[in-house]
Amino acid sequence: MAKTIKVALAGNANVGKSVIFNYLTGLHQHIGNWPGKTVEKAEGTLHFRGYTIDIIDLPGIYSLSAYSIEEQITRNYIVMEKPDVVINVIDASTLERNLYFTLQLIELGRPMIIALNQVDQAAKKGIHIDIKKLEEILGVPVIPTIAIKGVGIYQLMEKVIEIARKGINTQNNYVKLGREIEERIERLVKLIEGLGLRYPARYAAIKLLEGDEEVENEVNKLNPALIMVARQLAKEIESIEGRPCGEAIIAERYEKACNIAREVESITSPARTKLIEKLDELTIHKLWGYPIMISLLLIMFYTIFTVGGYISDLLNALFYNGQTLFNSISRAGPIGELFWSAAEGIIAGITVVFPYLVPLYIVLYLLEDSGYISRVAFLMDSLMHRMGLHGKAFIPLLLGYGCNVPACIGCRILETQRERTIATFIVTLVPCAARTIIILSLVGKFLGIEYALAIYIFNLAIIFLLGRIAFKALPGEPTALIMEMHEYRMPHVKTVLKQTWFRIFEFIKIAFPLIVLGSVAIKMIELFGLTGPIVAALSPITVSWLGLPMMTGITLIFGILRKELMVILLSTIFGTSNFLDIQGFGPINMIVFTVVAMFYIPCISTIAALIKEIGWKKAFLITIFEIFFAILLGGIVYRFLRIILG
Amino acid sequence: MNNSDENKKRVSLTELRAGESGTVVAIIPSHGRGRGCGHARRIMEMGITPGTRITVIGSAPFHGPIEVLVRGSRIVVGRGIAERIIVEVYRSNGKDD
Repeated sequence: MAKTIKVALAGNANVGKSVIFNYLTGLHQHIGNWPGKTVEKAEGTLHFRGYTIDIIDLPGIYSLSAYSIEEQITRNYIVMEKPDVVINVIDASTLERNLYFTLQLIELGRPMIIALNQVDQAAKKGIHIDIKKLEEILGVPVIPTIAIKGVGIYQLMEKVIEIARKGINTQNNYVKLGREIEERIERLVKLIEGLGLRYPARYAAIKLLEGDEEVENEVNKLNPALIMVARQLAKEIESIEGRPCGEAIIAERYEKACNIAREVESITSPARTKLIEKLDELTIHKLWGYPIMISLLLIMFYTIFTVGGYISDLLNALFYNGQTLFNSISRAGPIGELFWSAAEGIIAGITVVFPYLVPLYIVLYLLEDSGYISRVAFLMDSLMHRMGLHGKAFIPLLLGYGCNVPACIGCRILETQRERTIATFIVTLVPCAARTIIILSLVGKFLGIEYALAIYIFNLAIIFLLGRIAFKALPGEPTALIMEMHEYRMPHVKTVLKQTWFRIFEFIKIAFPLIVLGSVAIKMIELFGLTGPIVAALSPITVSWLGLPMMTGITLIFGILRKELMVILLSTIFGTSNFLDIQGFGPINMIVFTVVAMFYIPCISTIAALIKEIGWKKAFLITIFEIFFAILLGGIVYRFLRIILG
Repeated sequence: MNNSDENKKRVSLTELRAGESGTVVAIIPSHGRGRGCGHARRIMEMGITPGTRITVIGSAPFHGPIEVLVRGSRIVVGRGIAERIIVEVYRSNGKDD
């Protein structure tokens, strides 16, 4: 008798899956990405009644077609990993749409339990569900839960153990579709059984009728003739139903979901609170929605960066006092310096990660959990569409003006892998606070604020342009907004805090080694006296192409670590803080330098964030692209300005 | 003007006013890009299938997305998608424009 039970949580987005997951796993979690995907993978363990229960929180999805990566991950996980129990979390207040997913999940043939969540919210809306009847119809045990209060979770786990022990099979409990379709499904099932397919026969049959590529490929390896049969049957359905087979199946399934919902639901008059209704109306109001959104986001921005900045300064002061102490102990020397640079890297990491990321994650999850992010997406969709993204991307973009690291991480609120990739790329181009320092203290100070403003506008234009190009160039579905607008609700603070903690932990694991390595490498260059040769080697780019003084090459290298140091470095190298005194560093060169600094490479912490969010390969490509792009752009700007300004 | 009775009209979802309801009759597949039927499928999988009752709750300004009530849940669809959702509505001629 196995003492380990594998449990998967599956369901629509925003049904309370993560709350249940966090409730069950507590501090025994591991957050990572699905191999090779930018989709988050949350795993955890629970010890319950002598059993070790491994729990995985599958992505929130609405269907099991292979349409999005999240859907592929879910169905492949359930088919390949065969979890002992699948807990389907459904929202009691939108039963019909949730059941559409449940009906498909049943077809995957794993033992199942339904956690009918948010029954209290449903009751407030006047929806009462007959649990016994629902169990009867679906042939699946149903446990009513109120996850945020922990109600029903114990019963849920008891049921998990009971089912895992008995190994109840739900394979034959599927809900039949309409006669014409059902007849053909059964004919296909007979042909599929015994093929040795890893999918359950009924599921495979339906997917073949829908023309699902993944299943077709599998079947093709075993019996290609079957696909022809399936296509023939699909055509028959199409001519009977008068619409494409795939469409007919979706409609049928919804019909069933609707009938089931009607049978088990009893509706009384809703007791929805007036306040929430008003809030909802106001926050998406044509007129008031925008000022409310802007103020809310500014408050959020302000909170993250002032709270963050304050703590960051505090930590910085603390650590750099440590430097004097450290130096007096180690009596400097190259080894000591190398150690200090590694320590400095860690300090840089700590002063970025903790102060900014902690408030960021908390605010982000609060916005998401409460439902406000959907409202922002609704209001901003039209504008964001112009750069190939939809409304939700507005939030990470805005965060980017503070710091690119949280901005990259903020891109996780987007639904599809493609959108996340485009958005993370875009946000690394946004001038963060560090780059703002460069823009303001060079162009702003010496050429005037209108030039600084022009640089911002130029940056925005480039972002729109590159966004559009990335949107056109990257394969995948075109961006279009189809999302659920769930009701406002109180975020579950405990879940938010746990989510924050585990994600920061994950970031540290990836970012710190990289930051330390980078710091040490750059220190080594300095110690070995390689700065001169490297700067000379860079001179074809810096001097010939960009028209900059040769020594600026140093600042470009060190800027990889922290961009705000570039200006300070510039003044140390040239021994003046009146940069216009520097020979060969006139207004044009200053603009070119600023443009290059703005685009040329995300800083090392941002690269780490990129790796965490979209993987090594894409992070590398984006970094390389930005280096080339910045140099190319800088050279063009240089020549262009020389022509018009003389 | 002689036809003052209520009559059925087929219009795209974008033409419905806030608060107005109709029945989905068709979803026009997008053409030109990729496998085409993708969006139509996703729309239907969110519950907007032909034959479903749909009510427009509101829309965002600047040609923004449209919020609808369908099968008891609130769904937001982008303008481009909404244009391809064909809805049958009852409108008397007088109120029409």
